[in-house]
Amino acid sequence: MSDLKITALHKYYGEVHAVKGVDLEIPAGEFTVLVGQSGCGKSTLLRTIAGLETADAGTIEIGGEVVNDHAPRDRDIAMVFQNYALYPYMKVYENIAFGLRARRTPRAEIDAKVRKAAQMLAIDHLLERYPRQLSGGQLQRVAIGRAVVRNARLYLFDEPLSNLDAQLRDEMRGEIKRLHQDLGKTMIYVTHDQIEAMTMADRIVLLREGRIEQQGAPLDLYERPATRYVAGFLGSPTMNFIDASLERGNDALNVRLCDGTSLALPMARTAKLAGREGQRVVLGVRPEHMSRALAGDTRSGLVRYEARIDLVQPTGARTYATFRMGDTEAVAELLAHDVSQPGERIGLAIDMNRVILIDPGSDAVIG
Amino acid sequence: MTASQADLVLRAGARPGGGRHDRRFKYALVAPSIFVLLLIGVFPLVYLLVVSFQNITMTDMDKTFQGLLNYRLLVQDTRMWEALLHTVIFTAVALPIELLLGLAMAQLFIDRLPGRQVFIALLVLPVVVSPIVAGATWSLMFNTRFGPINQIIGWFAGEEVNILWTINPSLVYPAILAAEIWQWTPFMFLLLLAALSGVDKSQLEAAAIDGAGYWRSFFKLVLPAIWPVMAVAILIRGLDLFRLFDIVWALTKGGPGTMTETISIFAYVKGFQQFETSYTAAVALMIIVLLTVVVLLALKRVQLAR
Repeated sequence: MSDLKITALHKYYGEVHAVKGVDLEIPAGEFTVLVGQSGCGKSTLLRTIAGLETADAGTIEIGGEVVNDHAPRDRDIAMVFQNYALYPYMKVYENIAFGLRARRTPRAEIDAKVRKAAQMLAIDHLLERYPRQLSGGQLQRVAIGRAVVRNARLYLFDEPLSNLDAQLRDEMRGEIKRLHQDLGKTMIYVTHDQIEAMTMADRIVLLREGRIEQQGAPLDLYERPATRYVAGFLGSPTMNFIDASLERGNDALNVRLCDGTSLALPMARTAKLAGREGQRVVLGVRPEHMSRALAGDTRSGLVRYEARIDLVQPTGARTYATFRMGDTEAVAELLAHDVSQPGERIGLAIDMNRVILIDPGSDAVIG
Repeated sequence: MTASQADLVLRAGARPGGGRHDRRFKYALVAPSIFVLLLIGVFPLVYLLVVSFQNITMTDMDKTFQGLLNYRLLVQDTRMWEALLHTVIFTAVALPIELLLGLAMAQLFIDRLPGRQVFIALLVLPVVVSPIVAGATWSLMFNTRFGPINQIIGWFAGEEVNILWTINPSLVYPAILAAEIWQWTPFMFLLLLAALSGVDKSQLEAAAIDGAGYWRSFFKLVLPAIWPVMAVAILIRGLDLFRLFDIVWALTKGGPGTMTETISIFAYVKGFQQFETSYTAAVALMIIVLLTVVVLLALKRVQLAR
């Protein structure tokens, strides 16, 4: 059974159409990440699910019940806010207990639940402190504790890690994911950070301008994006997009760049592209699908491209090399010592098995 | 560098420009303001104290020391005690009403409504009016024969009414309180509106999701957040009400009889109509002592004077 079902949801802020007809069904126990650029409607969608905003059209069902007209407290949800939103005049204990007290839980039960949640989040030594005495990471733990203790059906996270520094963010990312595994609750998590989305999600819902652009398992979206937008949004460094055209080669289709280079597509991929010879396409290549060409490498689908490296950015294990490909700049993710200085000419092997081809008119991925 | 050299350098660094000269300079800087304070604050206070131990009246410049004469008279003066009681009544009734009304209005206007700014500006107008003008205006409003209030009541009653708002003993208090509350509720409203708009909205949202109702959110989140501002507002209005003068003077001059005489009116009548100068000095000193005690207690309670 699904814990959350959204049908044809619309939300306006005055003239602004923030959510434009979203349909979404989230199975029980799943960790779903709503991701997109700022202003794509992801936070609005979450706030509408929570009942902090009212839906202008469409229905929201939680646990099989339409909750459009329910107050937030009657929706069986718990939420973690971006700025923590802890109650400043209460100690940590009271912050966590607040929801239980509001629901008239017996005192002994409150105490047991608060202490258990605090222990789970390693904040049991902070219970007698006030929020102003805590660090950012501790505040976030308390905010999560306040949600966890409620034992709600649906947990909502609104960019909970964006106020933390990078190291703490990595740490908390892991903890939230572990929390999900331990509790097995349905969680919806909003972020603009594609790395958070990739690492945490069972399923990513990628929003763009108030609509769902694509949804699916993280690696599905990464490897089989439906549109140029999705392909460009996920992955770092971003995918390279090079204008090209399709032409018939000796025995298969070739991708011809505007500098005259022809890159042969593997036989397996030509079937889908039948009838598109001569058409303009955009070639999408991820940086990690390019490597330094080795003499005698005969793996099928690898094509050689001679590149003159303009910029070298070592990151440790990997080195990002920028070069001109066709009429645009492209980035290849190479091994640390594959390239040493700018100006070097090297042979790159492009894995044509994994490139994508995009129709420049519709921005849809065609093969 | 040897240890003693380092020591010298450190010492020189600790007091740039030499110590003694520096210390005198800072006293020179605050001296003018201290002087002004002494002139307009402490001198009149001391002089007031001196006068209160003499027996100066309009007809008699008796500057001899009279001991506690005026204070003895003061304690025995039932009119003074009544004036004090009237003042306390005005304060005790008007202050909570202004506070609650102002808070309710602020709550109403905290949401973004169309025309909000215009309404706020209109509602705040009474504060801009000088109290004596407001009192005079209300005096006209309450006028028995020509005042709009009696007119309007007359329309509902279907016949001409002659309600004596500023004379009838059972109506003077409501009339004065109405004018007072009309004028000063907007002050509370404005301060509390500012305080309320500073309350973190996401905390209230978190509480709404947590299951807290309106009153729980209000008492646990909103009230603690606006309390410092509210306490100051109560203190300011409380002190204002304690020296209530203009509106009462314009409406009843303390009458009928001395029924609505406040302590300020009492002091004014004694000092500037009956010219019992030394006795008035004693009254003024008593008010000062009383207010100082109240303010100190209040500040201690609110913990603003840390």
